[in-house]
Amino acid sequence: MNKRDGKLATSFLKIGSVAAGLSLWHMLAVYVINDTTLLVSPMVVVRTAYDMLFVTGELYPHLFASSWIFFYGFILAIVAGVPLGFVMALSPVVRDYINPWMATLYTTPRIAFAPVLLLWFGIGGGSKIAIVFLGCVFPILINSYYGMRAVNREYVELARSFRLRPWALFVKILLPASIPFILAGIRLAVGRGLTGVAIAEWFGATEGLGYLVFFAGQTLNVPILFVGVAAFALLGILGFEIVRQFENYVTPWKKQAQGG
Amino acid sequence: MPRKEIVRGCVSICAGLVIWEVLTRLLLENELLIPPPSSVIRSFWRMAISGQLNKHFTATLIEFFYGFTTACLVGIVIGYFMGMHRWFDEIMDPWIATLYSIPIITVVPLIIIWFGIGMVSKVIVVFKITAVAIILNTAAGIKNLDPVWLELAKSLRLSRWETTYKIRFPGALPYIITGMRLGVGRALLGVIVAELMAANAGLGYLLRDSSETWDSPKLFVTVILLAAIGLASFNLIKRLEQKMAPWRQSAEWTAE
Repeated sequence: MNKRDGKLATSFLKIGSVAAGLSLWHMLAVYVINDTTLLVSPMVVVRTAYDMLFVTGELYPHLFASSWIFFYGFILAIVAGVPLGFVMALSPVVRDYINPWMATLYTTPRIAFAPVLLLWFGIGGGSKIAIVFLGCVFPILINSYYGMRAVNREYVELARSFRLRPWALFVKILLPASIPFILAGIRLAVGRGLTGVAIAEWFGATEGLGYLVFFAGQTLNVPILFVGVAAFALLGILGFEIVRQFENYVTPWKKQAQGG
Repeated sequence: MPRKEIVRGCVSICAGLVIWEVLTRLLLENELLIPPPSSVIRSFWRMAISGQLNKHFTATLIEFFYGFTTACLVGIVIGYFMGMHRWFDEIMDPWIATLYSIPIITVVPLIIIWFGIGMVSKVIVVFKITAVAIILNTAAGIKNLDPVWLELAKSLRLSRWETTYKIRFPGALPYIITGMRLGVGRALLGVIVAELMAANAGLGYLLRDSSETWDSPKLFVTVILLAAIGLASFNLIKRLEQKMAPWRQSAEWTAE
């Protein structure tokens, strides 16, 4: 009775919901719409995915190109965002001067910058990395800032009473205390970075998952379109999970760090 | 203290603009890469006079408004039922989670295939983005309601409707507004992407048009306008949040 049954019922409902939805999709695609330029059955999508992965292998170059861009943009965002967030947290003057620019850049829809960045960096890797960077950097920067601001005052006072030098204070107290926040920011940045990849590859790219999706959209190739969308979703979930595992490993004292 | 902040902010903005103007005037003879602020302002003025700006701005605004309001209504209702009934939550959960984890802009081509390049497809894009954020947050708000309040409602013999209206909805309101705030930023991105991809009006269209004709001042006007819209909507929602849920300390900017 009770708990185990409840769990069983839960998973039953979930599986039932997914199965019902998929079969509805199949029916709709095959019997109602019956037009492969509008919608195809999930079975066709799975078959296309299988072909692209194991038979022709045409998904890999796209996957590789996208990961490359994502990786560089993401690393650059961490390298630039964390120190800048720290500096802003530690110096109110710097914060006040940077703040208006930051707030503007952050609240502008990122896509608006894409044509400008394209103008500056050309259609090569540079502009794409810049777009991903712009997407990732703000959650990381903002969370580093809050992480540094939210350090418990008692820790700082303790450090003072031990007469720690400023550098030791930073390394031993401030940095470890703000790491959970930074990691939460990095977790948020994963999704935004992926969106950035999609935006970047839509402007003048010749390969990559974003290119795949937009090209399929323009040629009305619905099966490939679905495969591309699914690939993005899976990568997002995967990246999110990796960072969360890493979070649990690095900051075991915190089950779930609060994002800013 | 806040006054000092404002002064520094203004100084920073003004200094930035002056440096930008001087550098572009001195270093670049071609306005293509970075047009100086003065020519951006001139272009803005010209577009405003010709009514071009107004047309594109209203198009985007209307698309955004329709999508956003319908998403709020539908999202709150679905989220409410997900929070109230366990079974409904279980049924919806896999689908909402899937929708949530797909980067919005990758489904835009699909939505354009289905709904055409007109206004409907943009409204749907805004709707999808906002609805998911609001559903998730409303459900969380209903679920996390303090049980003491429900007991209070019981002891006051409130009817089901009154409990919903007086206890559950206000209790979930801060969450709902958080959902709206998350929705606004993303929906703005979504509508611009959809307009960039295929449209004949809207700020996204303007963005594409100006970048493809290498009209940099116009491009910068659009970018700055989008920045202003983003900033304004963000501050509006933040105000709303502070008013509706003053006990929740809201951050200066919040990571999505």
